[in-house]
Amino acid sequence: MGNTSNGEAVLFWILAPITVLAALAVVGSKKAVHSALWMAMVMVNLAMFFAVQSAPFLAVAQVVVYTGAVMILFLFVLMLIGVDSSDSLVETIRGQRIAAMLAGIGFGVLMIAGIGNASVDDFNGLTAANSAQGGNVEGLAALIFTRYVFAFEAIGALLITAALGAMVLAHREEIGEKLNQKALSIQRFKDGGIVTPLPAPGVYARHNAVDMPALLPDGTASELSVSPVLRARGDVLEPDDSVAAEASQRAQLGKGSSS
Amino acid sequence: MIRLAASETLIPAPNIEYYELSPILIVFGVGVLAVLVEAFLPRAHRLHAQLALCLTGLVAAFVVVCTLTDEAQENARAVPQKVAAEGAVAIDGMTLFLQGTILLLGVVAVLLLAERRLGGEFAASAATVPGSAAEKETTRLGWVQTEIYPLLMFSIGGMLIFPAANDLLLMFVALEVLSLPLYLLCGLARRRRLLSQEAALKYFLLGAFSSAFFLYGIALLYGYAGSVRLSDINAAVSGSEDNDALLLIGMALLAVGLLFKVGAVPFHAWTPDVYQGAPTPVTAFMAAATKVAAFGALLRVFYVGLGGAKWDWHPMFWGVAMVTMLFGSLVALVQTDVKRMLAYSSIAHAGFILVGLVATNAEGLSATMFYLLAYGFSTIAAFAIISLVRDGSGEATHLSQWAGLGRRSPVVAGMFALLLLAFAGIPLTSGFTAKFAVFSASASAGGTPLIVVGVLSSTVAAFFYIRVIVLMFFSAPVTDGPRVAVPSLTTALAVWIGVAVTVFLGVLPQPVLDLADNASFLIS
Repeated sequence: MGNTSNGEAVLFWILAPITVLAALAVVGSKKAVHSALWMAMVMVNLAMFFAVQSAPFLAVAQVVVYTGAVMILFLFVLMLIGVDSSDSLVETIRGQRIAAMLAGIGFGVLMIAGIGNASVDDFNGLTAANSAQGGNVEGLAALIFTRYVFAFEAIGALLITAALGAMVLAHREEIGEKLNQKALSIQRFKDGGIVTPLPAPGVYARHNAVDMPALLPDGTASELSVSPVLRARGDVLEPDDSVAAEASQRAQLGKGSSS
Repeated sequence: MIRLAASETLIPAPNIEYYELSPILIVFGVGVLAVLVEAFLPRAHRLHAQLALCLTGLVAAFVVVCTLTDEAQENARAVPQKVAAEGAVAIDGMTLFLQGTILLLGVVAVLLLAERRLGGEFAASAATVPGSAAEKETTRLGWVQTEIYPLLMFSIGGMLIFPAANDLLLMFVALEVLSLPLYLLCGLARRRRLLSQEAALKYFLLGAFSSAFFLYGIALLYGYAGSVRLSDINAAVSGSEDNDALLLIGMALLAVGLLFKVGAVPFHAWTPDVYQGAPTPVTAFMAAATKVAAFGALLRVFYVGLGGAKWDWHPMFWGVAMVTMLFGSLVALVQTDVKRMLAYSSIAHAGFILVGLVATNAEGLSATMFYLLAYGFSTIAAFAIISLVRDGSGEATHLSQWAGLGRRSPVVAGMFALLLLAFAGIPLTSGFTAKFAVFSASASAGGTPLIVVGVLSSTVAAFFYIRVIVLMFFSAPVTDGPRVAVPSLTTALAVWIGVAVTVFLGVLPQPVLDLADNASFLIS
């Protein structure tokens, strides 16, 4: 039946190292968002592998389902949880990371030793499988609806369980009557918190984005004017520089006009 | 209108044996109906509707299992041998015996889940933050999270497929179907909710990890045999000698996934934490039914699919069985919490059951099935009794609080003592019959070292079981210690069923032993 074509080999040797590095980056990244993006990269690369190995359906499903839907859901979840709720990266068991790495490397060596032994000279049955029902997708359909029909149907139970579980764990039913806007505003005055809208971020000649706090009359920065999420992420700028820069510019101007 | 082109080949419709599969289909159908009950019935009626629905469904499925066994015995004096659903499900003696066991344990579990008088074991609303005002309010309103019933039914459905799966792909799907609801149920305790949620998360993460191993094993075996069907794998194993590496690694990875589910030693770490944190009825169900299903799958994979490679996996299982028995018994000695103690005891029991599995003969198969039945009922009753011993803050699981319990509530403490004696394998209890069956099967297969280790660890185990009995009956009661709460009828029924089966299988085991003997058939 044929060997691996040159094109496939070239593609593999270019993409495989990238995929492995990206997979390591998934584990190694400190920020969850970065991990998710590396994961997306791994999945797109996998889709390309599937595509060159004559499995077009899997390649498309990989892109649409995993990269498209699952990864975006991951990112949504990260956004909902909020970037400021960070994981503690302190090891609770000493030497755990080293031990895990050693175990991982050991497992990898074992797998390489085992699978490297396999005879991979020829493809076995690929063309037959892809042409049995007239194509790749048709072949898969035939398998799903005959040989694996029971497994396919049993997955329905898994999906219902997943939906039900999400409802049980996350759906909070309203207790009592839902407050309307009037009641909410009365509530806000009763509680005695801030009743006005929060101050807007600072607008300066050189910078007017949301990461720049406004100045209070006494010249200090107003913490309320920037989002606490940005503050937690360490992305808030200090207005001092802008103020100082403007002041120095004004001083320059003043000097110029006087002379 | 789309018309098929003449050249297109039509896929022949699959042949589904609905009758043989109906126990599974009934349980899943009831699960779906139970979800609809959640969606459309007002809160006040849900609990009773769920109870009626689940019990009816489980009993109906059990009746079908009995009829299937019966019919086959009438026809050919043997158990049915049929591969259903295009060869994906093997309906044979072991399948029917274990399905019957799981369904009966499921009935008992539903009875336990239905406990209301003790305030219930499940959170009023699992979505509320522990300790929040919303949690207090929902608890005050007397809400119950009745979604536990459909979740339990889906889990039971998965367990019914797991030992019957004749194809590794279906087995993996069944593993997930049975595990996912259990992960959820573990996190729904009413009291000590953070501990319960931690248990659920641990179980989920470790379970997902072990599923990955299982899947990797399937992939490698597919690479070896070119099929995931057990009969094809068997043919490949017995037919060829080359490229054993794939077979060996695949087999080992498959064993990791399955041994994780039964809680055998290198993969037992989740057991104590999850058993302790989960709501007690869920712990009871997990300890009993999950073991049955997982051992069923283990038996099928290694007897049917990998039977030809027996000499490759045999030594590994010997080692695992020995270590599991010894480790479980020794670590249980130093436990101070009753639930943790029973968790380690369940690890030790997994080892004893493995002794039956490594016998690799019909006797071993029948002994293993009998052990699973006997242990399932004893353990479900033991956890039910633990849920009755309570003080002001809920269950009193610390061993020191159990001191002198026998003087205050002799009946309950007596039943617990009986169950502990069954765990220890004292004659006239089901535990003795089961251990005897397993050891004699192993002896006939030349497993004398295993038996020596087994008897040794039984002795160690007997020590800590009897220590609890001594503590309950012969030490002074602690002041303001826990009381035995009066449960509602359902829990009482569950305890009585468990105790009755334990005694019955100890005194008159023959009919059930015969049943297991007749059922020790595997087909592929």
